[in-house]
Amino acid sequence: MNVSNIKRISSITILSILLLIVILLATGTGAMHMSPLQVLAILLDKAGIHLPVAYEENMPGVLWMIRLPRVVLSVLIGAGLGLAGASLQGLFRNPLADPGLIGVSSGASMAAVVMIMVQNQLLAFEHTPVLNYYALNLAAFAGAIITTLLIFRIARSGGQAVISTLLLAGIAVRALCESVTGMMTYLSNDQQLRSITFWSLGSLGGANWYTVAGVAPFIIIPMILLPRLAPALNLLALGEREAMHSGVRVPRLKALLIVLATMAVAAGVAAAGIIGFIGLIVPHIVRQIAGPDNRILIPGAALSGAVLLTIADLLCRTIVAPTELPVGIITAVIGGPFFLWLIIKEKRTLLA
Amino acid sequence: MMLHVNDISLSLGKAQILRNISMDAAAGELCVIMGANGAGKSTLLKVIAGEHMHYQGHVLLAGNELKSMPVAAQASTRAVLSQQLTLNQAFTVAEVANMGRFVYSTHLSSLDKEIVTYALKTMQVWNLRDRTYPTLSGGQKQRVQMARVLAQLLEAPDLHTTDYAGKKMLLLDEPVTGMDILHQQLSLQLATTLAASGVLVVAVLHDFQLAAAFASRLLLLKDGTIYAQGSVEEILTPAHIKNCFGVDVAVLEHPHCHYPLVVTAAADGLFKSPAEEAINVL
Repeated sequence: MNVSNIKRISSITILSILLLIVILLATGTGAMHMSPLQVLAILLDKAGIHLPVAYEENMPGVLWMIRLPRVVLSVLIGAGLGLAGASLQGLFRNPLADPGLIGVSSGASMAAVVMIMVQNQLLAFEHTPVLNYYALNLAAFAGAIITTLLIFRIARSGGQAVISTLLLAGIAVRALCESVTGMMTYLSNDQQLRSITFWSLGSLGGANWYTVAGVAPFIIIPMILLPRLAPALNLLALGEREAMHSGVRVPRLKALLIVLATMAVAAGVAAAGIIGFIGLIVPHIVRQIAGPDNRILIPGAALSGAVLLTIADLLCRTIVAPTELPVGIITAVIGGPFFLWLIIKEKRTLLA
Repeated sequence: MMLHVNDISLSLGKAQILRNISMDAAAGELCVIMGANGAGKSTLLKVIAGEHMHYQGHVLLAGNELKSMPVAAQASTRAVLSQQLTLNQAFTVAEVANMGRFVYSTHLSSLDKEIVTYALKTMQVWNLRDRTYPTLSGGQKQRVQMARVLAQLLEAPDLHTTDYAGKKMLLLDEPVTGMDILHQQLSLQLATTLAASGVLVVAVLHDFQLAAAFASRLLLLKDGTIYAQGSVEEILTPAHIKNCFGVDVAVLEHPHCHYPLVVTAAADGLFKSPAEEAINVL
């Protein structure tokens, strides 16, 4: 076993343990406090294992119906954003690529708003909440993939994405998507406006097992498939030509990356609105600690994204309790300064 | 024939870069392509490397039509070292060299690791194996890339025991630019050794001295066509060089040198005697 294998296994193990601790803490914290041991006892009860820990009678209900779906949703969406950030940065060969910054999230959000308006018109969806979420996810996915392809085409020159063009195209596409979203809001009737406003608050507050079921496949599929692309993605760091010379089917790799990464982002946007900066910060931190090898970076970014979003959501529902902050505010408060620091630190190498 | 190029032409945008090029190269040759800037050297190499698939004509690698070869089959037959590689992520030297084995396995076997180790040692970058790539100098980076390409080519951790004839091909685009003189010599000696084991090496070089010393065959390109091809002695003549590069040269023999020496001359004549020099000054 060589150094990079040890590094890979140890970073993944540490992050997995960290994620478990965060999940237990976040599930236990709220108006009704449960200790991590109590949470563990309630969860294991369901599996038929009884721990000698006492808990109150109404705790399991709160945990299963309110806390756990929300924490599971934040784990899924955070993992999806981390995965997408790491993959898009590999695809664009640039550590500044972030699904929020380059407009992928705005594209998903625009399409989701259109879908909400359509859903309000068609009553067919009314009694099938899971179908409702799937339709919203698919619309967001379509919007995200169209914006990604558009931006990729604009920013590419000589087999490499030019970062200044990428960010400028991102600004333009975001402005365009937001204007369409604004137009939709203007055209909507009262019922549609209520749905759009409720959705665009961008919170994990609406989490229930239906939202979790709607989001899960769109994030679990990329979670399984993206790590398999890691060795080829490493070669892409040398350049598209070199990757091809080394035996990588580059067009197929790029298509898979775009589809899987946007899938993960879009599902998150559909369920919780735009949550910025996770896709930017998380891969960067993992890269600083474990190096650029995508075999560590991709699973590491998924785990760290889950940890970070779960903590952010825990903060936003506890610091101003009994009300809560939109989770996007917390991630922006952490992510904005981080992004500025990143630009200052690497402005010579990144923007050249 | 390891490489068979039959009547290829290629346009990029509206500009026609290559016109009706035909060439053959056998296993074990070290074939050097030369020509002025814009003559089409790199483009010809890129066509053989599978980068411009819209060429007209035929390219056969070890008897297989290039256009119908899957990328993996190409990569296990042909390794390519391009110019101007940019890698700004902090991969270690060892990780970069490991990438050469991608086409054989994504999880390195012990044979893969031995081959990578051998390649790193051969290129004298084994001591740099834990350094991160962006911290290296230009010449060191070039050697690491050469090690990666060598790892892609080899089937065993040894240059001398395996016969690669008809199986492997190496394309080098200005491989020694930026290297110091010792490593230029080492790299081209490595190319010679590979050729001796049956690998076909096709290299673009700018330096007449290196080309003369190492090439088993020379190809001179001019305006996208083959101006001349043949042995070093046949190709490196003052007339050919004047026609292709527009420079007056003298081609000299030296008793300690088994190859011709190409020396540039001033436009108004070559090797004035000290007496003539003195008259000019006066």
